Amino acid sequence: MSAFMSNVGGISEVLLMMLDDAFFAGFAALGFALLFNVPRQALLACVLFGASAHAIRALLLHVGVPIEWASFIAATLLGLATVPWSRKVVIPRIVVTVAAVIPMIPGVYAYNTMTDLMALHHQGYSQALLQSVVENGLLTIFVLIGLSFGLAIAPVLIYRDKPII
Amino acid sequence: MIDSVKSISHEEQLVITRVVARAGQLLQAYNAESRIIEHTTERLGLAFGLDSVEIALTSKAIILTSRFGDNCITTTRAMKAHGIDMGIVCEVQRICINAEKKIYNVEEVKQRLVNINVPKYNALMVAFFVALACASFSHLFGGDYIVFFATLVTSFIAMLIRQWLTQLHHNLLTVFFITAFTATFIGSFASAFNWGNEPELVMITSVLQLVPGFPLINAVSDMVKGHVTIGMARWMTATLLTLASTLGIVLAVQLGQYGGWL
Repeated sequence: MSAFMSNVGGISEVLLMMLDDAFFAGFAALGFALLFNVPRQALLACVLFGASAHAIRALLLHVGVPIEWASFIAATLLGLATVPWSRKVVIPRIVVTVAAVIPMIPGVYAYNTMTDLMALHHQGYSQALLQSVVENGLLTIFVLIGLSFGLAIAPVLIYRDKPII
Repeated sequence: MIDSVKSISHEEQLVITRVVARAGQLLQAYNAESRIIEHTTERLGLAFGLDSVEIALTSKAIILTSRFGDNCITTTRAMKAHGIDMGIVCEVQRICINAEKKIYNVEEVKQRLVNINVPKYNALMVAFFVALACASFSHLFGGDYIVFFATLVTSFIAMLIRQWLTQLHHNLLTVFFITAFTATFIGSFASAFNWGNEPELVMITSVLQLVPGFPLINAVSDMVKGHVTIGMARWMTATLLTLASTLGIVLAVQLGQYGGWL
């Protein structure tokens, strides 16, 4: 019983974490949607898709899925979910998918790669710096590939050669 | 079949080809994915009764050939990069679908594409919401509310500078360099005064507004769908933009270290 209770406590904690995550990821998606001049009727969709995709990824990360696979799964679900929406409102998918995916882009890792690359030149070779460059760089590339492959799953695998709208 | 066969004169084909090329040029200039450019131009051409529209995309131009019977017309349009504007991409797509449904004829489509005008959001509002996005990132990385507000202010100022430089039509690399420098420089004072639980988050997250997410995602999607050369060009653009912002960050950090507050 006590194990069950602690399990429930764990679940509500995870739900709270996901809600918090979704709330702030939604704001992040909104900011970038406005920057990309996404039309008004697609703004809410950007926020909701971005928030739910980021929350799903947070859940997967919490369960222990590696970040590149978590990003891939979240982006795949996002890509599939946008298809019916895109058909209904006749707006190309790219208008919402990119803004929704932006919160998941590994920006910090990309900057870390570049700063360490510069430090490698500035301070001379060191094992730790090179390790950081390689690890951050690989992580950036794999997460990005996971995200864009995920978005491409819907048109490439399921709606082959048929335009979505 | 018989009733759909309609003869198109050479002059008519010229007009249609120009309209289709204009649509493709707009889509490319405002950063649509290559596949969308290909599909939209082809559908627009077919909607006006052409037999086919073939398009060759390079990173700086589009070359397209329209065919009707034995008559081919080839035309090239140079690309003038305009930054990202999804409103225009939506509008071009909408015009194309209306042309397919025969709601617009060639002349109407031409008028609408030439005078394309999509409302822009208020610049201050955009700056505020981008700043809020960066502040949300700082929360997602585990910063407390002091870090949240410091990031909000820092990235708001950086975003205003970015908008101002973009308005002056500076090179995108210059804009990214200066914006990243300012954001990191202002953010470094949060570290100097030791604000919040993780002061260095202010510096890190307020430059996240400069992450070239659009070219990066477009690059990989283009490569996945077979446009490898354009994908490589986009990837390189994104890398250069990241490099430019990193140079700004490194310069600001070194300045802080020489000044002794970092």
